[in-house]
Amino acid sequence: MSAELLEGSEALAKAMISAGCRFFAGYPMTPFTEVLEGMAEHLPEVGGTCVNAESELEAVGMAWGAAAGGARAATGSVGQGLSLMQESIAEMCFARLPLVVLNMARGQGDYFQATRGGGHGDYRTIALAPADLTEAVSLIQQAFYFADKFRNPVLFMGDYYLAHVIEAVDIGPVDFEALPDKDWLLDGSTSGSGTARIISPLMPVKRNAEVFVEYGDYLETSGDKIAAIENGMEPLFESGHCEDADYVVVSYGTPARIIRYAVDQLRSEGVRVGFFRPISLWPFPSAALTEATRTAKAVGVYELNAGQMVDDVRLSLRDKVVESIGGISFDDSGFGIAPELTPARVEARIREEMANLSNEVDA
Amino acid sequence: MEREILLSGIGGQGVQLAARSLAQAAMREGRRVLMFGTYGGMMRGGDTDATVVIGEDSLMTPPVVDRVWGVIAMHHLSWPAVSEKLRSDGFLLLNDKVFQAENSHPGPCLSIGATAIATEAEMPQAGSMVALGAFAAATNIVRLETLLDIAEEVLPSYRSQFAEGNRKAMQLGHDAVSGSICEAWGVAEAVS
Repeated sequence: MSAELLEGSEALAKAMISAGCRFFAGYPMTPFTEVLEGMAEHLPEVGGTCVNAESELEAVGMAWGAAAGGARAATGSVGQGLSLMQESIAEMCFARLPLVVLNMARGQGDYFQATRGGGHGDYRTIALAPADLTEAVSLIQQAFYFADKFRNPVLFMGDYYLAHVIEAVDIGPVDFEALPDKDWLLDGSTSGSGTARIISPLMPVKRNAEVFVEYGDYLETSGDKIAAIENGMEPLFESGHCEDADYVVVSYGTPARIIRYAVDQLRSEGVRVGFFRPISLWPFPSAALTEATRTAKAVGVYELNAGQMVDDVRLSLRDKVVESIGGISFDDSGFGIAPELTPARVEARIREEMANLSNEVDA
Repeated sequence: MEREILLSGIGGQGVQLAARSLAQAAMREGRRVLMFGTYGGMMRGGDTDATVVIGEDSLMTPPVVDRVWGVIAMHHLSWPAVSEKLRSDGFLLLNDKVFQAENSHPGPCLSIGATAIATEAEMPQAGSMVALGAFAAATNIVRLETLLDIAEEVLPSYRSQFAEGNRKAMQLGHDAVSGSICEAWGVAEAVS
C-alpha cells in the first residue's frame, strides 16, 4: 500500500483496522476524540463495531467483553479517562485478556500511570511510546500482536502532537509471526456442557473442571506472567550518537523527536552528545541504556513532567549522574501543547547542562 | 533540502485549508511533507497557524519548528511571534491592507491584497487560497496545476461544492504575481 496524507488520529484508526481491530469503544476527550471519530468513520466499513460509550468505565467494559469473545479490541482516552479504567485494566491482566488501550495523553504526566498502573494487585502492562507518526502506525499494530501473544493489555502512548500532525504514511498491515489460536475465547461452543469455558480474574476453569486451579495458585501464576513478558519480549529502543558521547539525553514520545533533532544539530557542531529513546516504557530497555551511556559522564532525562521516567533511568544506571532536565510545560489549551518544547529551547537546555559538565570536570 | 512554510492568520479555517492544500500538492509532486496546525479551542477571530514542512527525503524536522523559510501572513495578530521564526533570507508574503503591523523583514517580500482579490471575486472567505496561489507563483514551491488538481480532495465530501471557487481563488492569486521572486528549489524541476 502506498503512502496517504493523513492526520495522525485518522492514521492511527486506519492502522488499528489494518491490524485487525474490529471492536472499539471510547468516550470523547481531546485529543483521544479524534481517534474515536476515525474509528467511528472507518470501522463499520470493514464490518467492525465502534461504540461511543456512556463513559470510560463502560468503554473498557465493552472492550473487555469483545476481547473475551475473541475480537481484536481496543479502547482509550487521555490519562484522565484512563484513571477510570484502572480497575478493569488490572482485572483483565488477571483474566489473561488481550486489549490495546490508547492514552492520547495531555503532556507526559501519565508515565507512572502507564508503567506502574493505578489498579490493584500484582500486574504489569506493556507500554509503547512512538516518537512520530510513521513509527506509530506500525507500532500500534505491534501493540495488538503483543496483546495477543502475552494475553495482556498493552498501553499505547500518544499525545496531541501525534493526533494532529499530518504526514504521508503507509497504514497497510504489518506482518508479525503467527500466533496460536485463541482456544480460550468464549464463542458459546461449550455453553451448557457443564464444563463451559470461563474467563475470570479469579480462576481459569470452573470449579467442576477435571483439573481445578486453586485461587492462590492462580494468583501466583499472575507473577509468572510478568516474568514471561520480560523474558519473551526484547525491550524496544532507539539510540543515536551515543558512541563516545560525554552526555546522553533520554526522552520518549514526541519530545524525543525534538531531542533527536537537537542532538543531530549539536553533533554537526562537534558537540559530543547522544540520545536514547525508550520505545517500550515497560519493559524498560535498561540493558541497552547501560550500553548507550557507557562513555557518558552524566545523563539528562527530558520529559514534560516533574520527573517520572527519571526513576527508571536511575534504576537502570545505578552509578551514573542522572538528572531531570525537562519540566512541566503547558499552554492554556489544556491539551498538552508545550511552549517549552521547541528545538531551540531544548538545544539551549542541553548546552547549559553540558557547560556545567565541563565546569565540573575542570574543577 | 527542507522548506518550512508558516501560514498565519485568524480563524475560520482558511489558513488550515491553504496549508493542507500546500501539503497535499507537495506530496502529489513526490515530496515528503509534514503539517502541524494549531487552532485549539480558538473561537472565530482567534489566531491560527499551520506549519508545512516539505522535503526530498525522510523529514527529521519535528512538528514544532523554530525557523521557517517562508511565511504567508494573512493577519498581523501573531506577527511578533511569526516574524521571529522567519529566516532573514526567507520569503514573506503579506496580505496587503489587512496586515497592519510594522514589517522590517530584510529578505524577499511580496505584498498582495489577497483578501481584496477574493472579496472582489465575491468569495471573501477564500483570501488564504488567493495567497497560496500567489505564494506558489512567487516561489514555485508547488505548481499551480497541482494545486488546482487537489482542490477537491482536500475538502470533506460535504464541502466539495467549494472546490471550484478555491480553484478560481488560487488562479487569481497566481495571476496577480508576474513571476518568481524567491525560488524554493533552485532552478531544478519538481521531483517526480
